[in-house]
Amino acid sequence: MGVTLDIAKKMLLAGRGKARTLGILCSIAIVDENGWLVGLHRMDGVPIATVDIARDKAWTAVAFKLPTSDVSRFGDPSTPGFGLNSQNWNDRLTTIPGGLPVKDADQVIGGVGVSGGTLEQDVVVCQATMAVVDG
Amino acid sequence: MMKELTLEMAIKALEAAERWARDVARIPCSTAIVDKAGALIAVHRMDGAAMATTDIAIEKAWSAVAFKIPTLMMSRWLDPRNVGELLGDHALGMVGRGKGRLCFIPGGIPITNDDGEVIGGIGNSGIPSATGDISDTSVSQAGISALYDA
Repeated sequence: MGVTLDIAKKMLLAGRGKARTLGILCSIAIVDENGWLVGLHRMDGVPIATVDIARDKAWTAVAFKLPTSDVSRFGDPSTPGFGLNSQNWNDRLTTIPGGLPVKDADQVIGGVGVSGGTLEQDVVVCQATMAVVDG
Repeated sequence: MMKELTLEMAIKALEAAERWARDVARIPCSTAIVDKAGALIAVHRMDGAAMATTDIAIEKAWSAVAFKIPTLMMSRWLDPRNVGELLGDHALGMVGRGKGRLCFIPGGIPITNDDGEVIGGIGNSGIPSATGDISDTSVSQAGISALYDA
């Protein structure tokens, strides 16, 4: 079972709240277990490029079932799967931090991507959205 | 009163559209809101709606803003009975324009402010075909109505 719209809305709300606390503006994308968009919100005044970046981060997190920052480890020749990070699957693959898989127990049920703040802030907002799923 | 579309207003419209789709149309679908430049503000896909509907909803909203008319009107340009009538014989040349984003399927409506200026657009996708009052356009209209409620 993937992320439902109901869960996605709660995640977006939590993410926006965290972004406000941090004093940043951002776009937040939630995708289902197959990487397809369920919900996306762009806060007022956020550069429009963040929409696609957030969506790409969420897609990458689901596609690899890894945080987007971990996808760059495939750049290490000693890692199994070397080079995966340089194939631009679907024109969406990104190794920029700010995308996390959403897990229910061990199952990946979706992904979240955030763009708009610094890389660290984007990750913090991502983690804030997870609180909804973790209960 | 309405000068510019905010995320808050966009969510209000999406919720209203979703309510109408769920309670009246009883069909899951996707709805998108874009700003006056066609840039996405928010999109929601209801549980059970086909995965392609989010992108189609976004393109419909974009197209409605790009031409400042409902995509329902644009669909008529391509109706074989109207080709050569509404826009001249070159109407078909419009297909695939706008970097591939122009969508001639009904369901996108521009959102105007009190001065009649286009401040954004709404697009809906997922209703199989227009049967009576149930169509993508009517879901979009339900969403827009929420913006004008005092």
